[in-house]
Amino acid sequence: MSNRAIPRILQAPAVILLLVWMLVPLGMTIFFSLIRYVLNSLRRPEWTSPSLENWRGLGNYEYVLYQAKDFWLAVQNSLFIITSVISITVLLGLAIAVLINRAFPGRGIVRVLLISPFFIMPDVNAVLWTNMILDPVLGLNGLAVEGLNQIITSMHDIPIIGHFFSLWPKIEPISFRATQTSAIAVIVMVAWQWTPFAVLIFMTSLQSEDQQQKEAAILDGANSWAQFCYLTVPHLARPIAIVVMIQAIFHLSLYAEIEIVSRGNGNKNLPYLIGEFASNNIGAASATGILAVILANLIAIFLLRIIGKSLMD
Amino acid sequence: MLRPALAWVIALMFFFPIFWMVLTSFKTDADAVKPEFLFMFTPTLDNYLNMTDNYDYWRFASNSIITSVFATIFTLFVGVPAAYAMAFDPSRHTKDILVWMLSTKMLPAAAVLYPMTFLTKNFLGIFDTHFLVVLVLSLINLPIIIWMLFTYFKEIPKEIIEAAKMDGTTAWSEIRHIVLPLAWGGLASTALLCFIFCWNEAYWTVRLTTIDAATLSKLIEGNRAPEGLFFGRLSAVSTAAVGPIVVLGWFCQKQLVRGLTFGAVK
Repeated sequence: MSNRAIPRILQAPAVILLLVWMLVPLGMTIFFSLIRYVLNSLRRPEWTSPSLENWRGLGNYEYVLYQAKDFWLAVQNSLFIITSVISITVLLGLAIAVLINRAFPGRGIVRVLLISPFFIMPDVNAVLWTNMILDPVLGLNGLAVEGLNQIITSMHDIPIIGHFFSLWPKIEPISFRATQTSAIAVIVMVAWQWTPFAVLIFMTSLQSEDQQQKEAAILDGANSWAQFCYLTVPHLARPIAIVVMIQAIFHLSLYAEIEIVSRGNGNKNLPYLIGEFASNNIGAASATGILAVILANLIAIFLLRIIGKSLMD
Repeated sequence: MLRPALAWVIALMFFFPIFWMVLTSFKTDADAVKPEFLFMFTPTLDNYLNMTDNYDYWRFASNSIITSVFATIFTLFVGVPAAYAMAFDPSRHTKDILVWMLSTKMLPAAAVLYPMTFLTKNFLGIFDTHFLVVLVLSLINLPIIIWMLFTYFKEIPKEIIEAAKMDGTTAWSEIRHIVLPLAWGGLASTALLCFIFCWNEAYWTVRLTTIDAATLSKLIEGNRAPEGLFFGRLSAVSTAAVGPIVVLGWFCQKQLVRGLTFGAVK
């Protein structure tokens, strides 16, 4: 193609669409974050329509950062959930990938079974776990604890050890809807879904490992652990970095799981907080949104700087 | 010997919740909550047969199918030319453009939710239409799809293209006779993956629709706190909502790896 214009024309629709998609809603959010804008107001009905006359400047940001008590909690919770999920998925993913790296009968099926959780809709994921597994009364959680209680009670009758067991209190199943534990429920659900992703990526990358280097290492007397530390992990450095980055991107906007597990009761993250504000106070919601965008960009710049250049070869 | 056994155990553990869901879908609602009927129960197809009465399944499912298919078509329609141009005629800015496209995906959706609702309701009047859902789904997946196509196109050896150019083919026949046959597999799997992502999208599809264009995501989300203990029905409709996609996903694992690592891991 000698004509310079043709490639530009071909790329134009995609670029223009994404540009509009990025700029227009974002521009509006910035605008909304700088005015007073609520959906219902008895005292000040003029605040219910967006207009420049209701200019508030950075007042919304002040409100969100200093006065609304939920913002820092939400940020903290977001970061907690994201880092927990990433740590679990990477470590577990590494372990599993190394485990199933050698060919064995039924490996194809194992792979298929392992990868399935990733394709489940987030809503179904959340509903499944909250109601059928983690529910303290009806779910497997409740049933398992019940069963455990019954076993312990039946052990009361054994002559000597029975005494020991009779001292044990009845175990209460953990309700994952409570404020402290609902974050853990979310972490479990999301990690369940994304560990297969990590496993798949690491497995694919492991297949391109240099076998000759490994054999040389074995000849030199390296044991499995040393092989793992000094050969496998550096080889996997790039996939690990990619897995971390992609998860950070996706988990910042976690919504369905948070909402379904606890309705944000003490367990909020930024997107949920925005949704909460948006039920009435659009100004605050937009301000929180912009803050979330800033946070996302900080994380992205940070990660891309570390990883980005290596993605480009 | 230990390794395969351990691998199987882990695989089964991961698959267990899905298995459990499918199993529960064959129990009646009453049985589903009784511990005696954990594994031994009389299976019933009632939950599936009554799905339309209970949940109006087919309306939501058809919306899911329509929007996912059209969004995939549109994304490919816009993305293939773009990826083609970037792969075969890169300029100095190509890499920057690709990274920028990726960054549009980092925008937390919640931040722009209200403007989108506002715009589409009040200005454009396209709230709760298939058109809007298709458009938004395409825009969300465009970056990843373009990246994937880019890596597939880049694998076509330049020599073949150059030989064709020297033979004097036009751009169009170059595409038809050389690029398409070679990249066909990549295109097909990219389309499949796009379809899966569109189907699973649970944020915009829920917030930008009410009745007309509501997809399966909205159906599930509306049932999140089941009034009563209808685990049997809930499992059936959940299985029906995610089943096709899980099976599809089994077929495109490789593309998933490639797409989500932007071609860096093959």
